[in-house]
Amino acid sequence: MSVDVVVSGLAVLVPGADSAKALSAGPPEGAEPVEPAALVGRKGLRYKDRATQLGYCLTAAALRDAELLDEEDTAVDGDAVGVVVSSNYGNLDTVARALDTLREGTVSATSPMDLPNASSNVVASSAAIRYGLRGPNLMVCNGATSGLDAVHWALTLISAGRVPRVLVIGVEPDNNVVRRLLEPDGVSRAVDGGAALLLESADAARARGVRVRARLGAYVRTAGLEPLIERLAAGGAPAPVRWQLPEGAAAPSAELLPGAARAVLPPHLGRASGALGVLQIAAAIGWYEDGGSGPVWAVCGTDADDACAGLTLREPENT
Amino acid sequence: MTSRPITGMGVVTSVGRGVRPLFDALCEGRTGRAELRGFDRSRFRAQHAYEVDDRPAEGVDVPARATALLVDAIGQATADAGLGEDLSGVPVLIGTGLRELRSMELWWREGGEFRDAGLHFGTALRERFNADVTHTFSNACSASLYALALGCDLLAQEGPGAPEAVVVAGVDVLTESMYGLLERVHPTPPDRVRPFDRDRTGVLMGDGAAAIVLHREAGDRRVHATLRGVAVNCDAYHVTAPSPEGIAKAMRQAYDLAGVKPGDIDLVMLHGTGTLLNDEAEAVAMADALGDNVGGPLMTAVKSMTGHTSGASGMVGLTMGVTSLADGRVPPTVGLDNPVDEAADFRLVTGEAAEARMTTAQLNAFGFGGINAVAIVEAAA
Repeated sequence: MSVDVVVSGLAVLVPGADSAKALSAGPPEGAEPVEPAALVGRKGLRYKDRATQLGYCLTAAALRDAELLDEEDTAVDGDAVGVVVSSNYGNLDTVARALDTLREGTVSATSPMDLPNASSNVVASSAAIRYGLRGPNLMVCNGATSGLDAVHWALTLISAGRVPRVLVIGVEPDNNVVRRLLEPDGVSRAVDGGAALLLESADAARARGVRVRARLGAYVRTAGLEPLIERLAAGGAPAPVRWQLPEGAAAPSAELLPGAARAVLPPHLGRASGALGVLQIAAAIGWYEDGGSGPVWAVCGTDADDACAGLTLREPENT
Repeated sequence: MTSRPITGMGVVTSVGRGVRPLFDALCEGRTGRAELRGFDRSRFRAQHAYEVDDRPAEGVDVPARATALLVDAIGQATADAGLGEDLSGVPVLIGTGLRELRSMELWWREGGEFRDAGLHFGTALRERFNADVTHTFSNACSASLYALALGCDLLAQEGPGAPEAVVVAGVDVLTESMYGLLERVHPTPPDRVRPFDRDRTGVLMGDGAAAIVLHREAGDRRVHATLRGVAVNCDAYHVTAPSPEGIAKAMRQAYDLAGVKPGDIDLVMLHGTGTLLNDEAEAVAMADALGDNVGGPLMTAVKSMTGHTSGASGMVGLTMGVTSLADGRVPPTVGLDNPVDEAADFRLVTGEAAEARMTTAQLNAFGFGGINAVAIVEAAA
């Protein structure tokens, strides 16, 4: 990657945590669900699915944190901001509900307002429309690695010179369709929240004097956890002091990265899926903000998945 | 300036399978339109679609049809490019509107085995091609050209990990929810796809998949055409309505990226969905972007024969556009009798296939949410 890319804004919204620090500290069990209307107002939420509503909240909070939201709640220089969203379960509820209506009634009984929600990219396009983000707009639905993959594509868009800044959102809603899908895995719920990161080049962040929260490094996607770790190490990434672990399987062998402290999201949050990679980076930033220091590796996907993805990050300079 | 050789192509739609057979069929004006095969027709007012006839029994739908079409198209493209069947380490980028949501629908209503890992295509591509750098993008109807833009960006990267080749594909099959919701918003149930015709009634979905292999350098490989650039944007205007300004902006950006002028465009593979809104917006944008050259390029919309193959459609258009450049023939837009006013000055190909010497083609794909993608390809030297 020829361009150094940094995180210059972020947002976290999961039950029990609305900041990177709170996420890193571990959200308490039994917390209330995130309430979008309380965060961005009721206006415009009707007819929007849960993932889209959560996406609005994350977009507003991350843009504000990055000093890119004006007084009218519109993005500053929206032509220069792209959007990459990761979600696997985003619109499953709309698809199931529309299908139930069709099968149990008629086409006329369906709601025309569901048409945009039936398209899986609705979270990404809706965030762009509400906040005026006119850069490239991408929806990544790529399974267990999706969140880190989304960050990789944001890095790619910036490095290619397509857009100076990209908002990356990882979000998964919880509902009865998702729960039924996860049941065979012995998982009772999805995270029902997510995180967002504003990425831009180090030069761009410096030019507008915004605080840098983390620096992003190498990304690798390959089959198998051990090969992934080998590839990251072989690429010259400094050895991690902290390892954000993947979800969904038994803990990785103790022989892998023995020097790194292992960090997981609390299992009671539920399956993070497409939100995981973005939450991992937010958690690492929360750890930096609490005084943590040194390289962090975030890894999504296990040997049970189609592949694993890893991304390395470091704390900002001069902190 | 971007200049990446297209070294392999594969395609499957309701009209035919394989680049050459499909192209010949489209030039003959054959369509894949038929009565709905996979759903209970009694539930719908619209009765037709453009489905690939691959179900084991009439009227009984089966899961993983999108995956099967995708695997077919990728297999054709990689064989054509001599890339082999082991795609480990080769980036495979898949643009789709609806992923495996049809499989999810069948599971939701009828039960059977389905896991979240079956929503995206990486799991199946790992099994079939040992592919592990797979990426499923769910970017509505511009998905496969969006994926093409990203593939292009990967090939522009330098360094030890930079790929020598990427596979870019698009795929979609009908979902019942999308078929029903599309019908819901049409005042009259559409009966066929008639892009740019005054009497068009709307869009009908089609099944399809297409794939290409793009190399960093041609080497001594056979080259079908050269990709000169892909522009992508989001007009952030409306969740379903297109914006002519946003579309025209994507077109101009594509010309800039490719280093071409409007007068260089010989052929436009239109998005042409046959909806009331798209065709007007696309025609206004085309006229705006081409300016004085609006009467220059030949134009056609193959959705008139393949139906709207959603996320696959951009790549289906690309494989056919590339073949048009190589062959000097352009398939007609079937069912286009009286063009809308906005397209009155266009050289739309109707009736029979047109013959012409052409060098540069423009490919259009636009999706819900105002996500626009425009690609420029050039005939092989």
